[in-house]
Amino acid sequence: MLVGMTLGTLGLIGAIALLLWAGARLFAGYPAPARRYARLSAHEAAFVTAAADATLPRGGDIPLSGVEAGIPEYLDGYLASLPRRNRTLVRLLFFLFEHVTLIFPAPGLDGFRRFTKLRPEQQRATLEAWGASPMRARRVVFTSLRTVLTMAYLSSPEVLRCMGLAPLAIESPVVDADLLYPRIGQPRSSVRWRPEDRSAPGGAALDPLGPLDPAYRGTPG
Amino acid sequence: MSLPAALADPRAWPGQVRVFADYDRDFREEADVVVVGSGPCGAVAAYELAAAGRSVVLLEEGPPFVPEEFELDGARSMSRTMREGGLRFTSGYVMPTMQAIALGGGSLVNSAICGRAPDFRLEEWASGHDLEHSSRAELDPHYDAVGKFLGIAPTPDDVQGRRNLLFRDGCEALGYSSRPIERNVVDCRGSGECFTGCRARAKQSMDVSYVPAALRHGARVLTSVQVQEIETDGRRVLGVSGQVVAPFTGARSHTFRVKARAVVLAAGVLATPILLQRSGNLANRSGQVGENLMFHPGTSVLGVFPEPTAPVFGATQGYESLHFLRDRYKLETMWAPPGVLAVRMAGIGHEFKRALLDMRRAAIFDAIASCHRSRGRVRARGRGLDPSMRWSFHPEDAHILGRAVWTMAEIFFAAGAEKILPGVAGVPDELHSLEEAEVLRRDPPGAAELVCASTHVFGTTRMHGDPARGVVDEECRAHDLDNLYIVDTGVFPLSPAVNPMFTGMALAHRSARALARRL
Repeated sequence: MLVGMTLGTLGLIGAIALLLWAGARLFAGYPAPARRYARLSAHEAAFVTAAADATLPRGGDIPLSGVEAGIPEYLDGYLASLPRRNRTLVRLLFFLFEHVTLIFPAPGLDGFRRFTKLRPEQQRATLEAWGASPMRARRVVFTSLRTVLTMAYLSSPEVLRCMGLAPLAIESPVVDADLLYPRIGQPRSSVRWRPEDRSAPGGAALDPLGPLDPAYRGTPG
Repeated sequence: MSLPAALADPRAWPGQVRVFADYDRDFREEADVVVVGSGPCGAVAAYELAAAGRSVVLLEEGPPFVPEEFELDGARSMSRTMREGGLRFTSGYVMPTMQAIALGGGSLVNSAICGRAPDFRLEEWASGHDLEHSSRAELDPHYDAVGKFLGIAPTPDDVQGRRNLLFRDGCEALGYSSRPIERNVVDCRGSGECFTGCRARAKQSMDVSYVPAALRHGARVLTSVQVQEIETDGRRVLGVSGQVVAPFTGARSHTFRVKARAVVLAAGVLATPILLQRSGNLANRSGQVGENLMFHPGTSVLGVFPEPTAPVFGATQGYESLHFLRDRYKLETMWAPPGVLAVRMAGIGHEFKRALLDMRRAAIFDAIASCHRSRGRVRARGRGLDPSMRWSFHPEDAHILGRAVWTMAEIFFAAGAEKILPGVAGVPDELHSLEEAEVLRRDPPGAAELVCASTHVFGTTRMHGDPARGVVDEECRAHDLDNLYIVDTGVFPLSPAVNPMFTGMALAHRSARALARRL
């Protein structure tokens, strides 16, 4: 009986140790993020940082890396803008990819580690494997992640300028509707336009080589 | 012709807009008609009823957007203008689908395509659904009236931009018919920004066209209000009730009730059936409310040309081909914010970055398919009007899109593309010649291989001459209720074969005229 109890205790201790080890693999050891985020947790910030640079590394004709282009900051704001359910889904997406290599390991003997602990080439190999998977569900998950990262990357004016895809400048005319609707959250009394401000919509076709929207122009010099 | 002085200033119009900041208490309204939803169909109905002298209250859950509110960045724009932040998707076959939440509904962020349903499809509607008054001759006057009001016209050549004209060139080389897309756009400047809101104010979205016109005729327009229940007494509806909701957060506050002699639902294909279900399974003696969920699933192919295409310039969707309509697919050109389009590019790391650079030499063509065998259903999820959708993509329907991918490949190479990115699983990421693309013709991709999305939705409150098999009659009046009308594209018994907005507006026009006569 004593032996049985001892074995049981040892088993219990072993199970607890296993749980602690698994917990540590899942949740511990994340560095403090480089900056404070409103929505991204330390785990999520670490994952987004790693995934951003694995997907969009520094160098090449678009020199900025994903992190340099501000992907983590953008996604922090993006998460804040989403309804709770969708925010949760995006967070699950990050969580899934962070830990998927504990189930489907990355290449190499040390591939059984969470995504942020992998070497950069292992991270890229993991993403590539999901993108090329014969299973549609895996491809959909990969596409979702890459889409989120890429949308954030292509929000950078500098990146868009490098790509030749920055939006052109347009001056909005003032139409009847502009005298009716205030900006969102403001009272109608805040509408600044008067009837005499109205201007005719339209005008010449834009010049494809014309000036860029001011928010997308580079700093002179 | 100039307006009388009193009507020249919108601030002096007899109608009135209310926005979120205006609500400081619970309130009640009364009108001849309450219209729920200010998208293309609801806005047309509200205007027609107001112009006919009826008192109208138009309710919209979203806020009005002015150009200062437009976000050029795709993700930010979608998170502000789309329900569920633009991240809505079907279950069953997982497919993104987007519905707007804004004054003007989808017209604020769509590419303004206005196509009439072809004769053969209207005949299918009629013959399969006991409809006697939905022929070309019967619907054309309604299309004409809406078309005239909105200035619907073919996209002019000077704003097509190279990426649209390449489609024309490819079609011409192959002998496929093509044409400039007809749109509700006046004096387009070719900014290619339809999906994030037209800064040039050229697009005649409902918030700048039909809604102001309804206000001029005395309609009251209440934004940031969510209808939660339709109130009834026997076969008659008495009005609607709900709550004020904050823009973007959806936080609920004051309650409201609108008493009316008739209710017109235009909340959209996904929200309208939920509203009926939430109101005691209303108008559902047929059992068809929320059933027959159909989409135009769409897929796109990106082609890269030897020379820059200057893709930021040009109408968002400027050219189309109806050549394959009887084969159940339609082809179009397309542009969208780069962050959205990048989903088409292949790879990871430096390879992916090189692919992103190709976008400056790119054009995108897309196909939408009429998929009558692919159906689903919609049910309420949670407290609000967000849906739970289950939808299956029938293998034969998926192959329609699969064939369309091959046709798009043909057009690209006929137009001089140096490579295409078909975006099909199991096929090389890049195909460099028609010979290489042969794999798409030999073995058309199926549902599992395609990347699809859809914004065109139909069928969940379908029109049918037989009350046992449909929710509304040909005038869009509910079979089960004397004074409830449904005028969004949920009443379509089948796909319209082309983009649905114009047909929805034409049906709403007819329905509103009929209702105005009855009141």
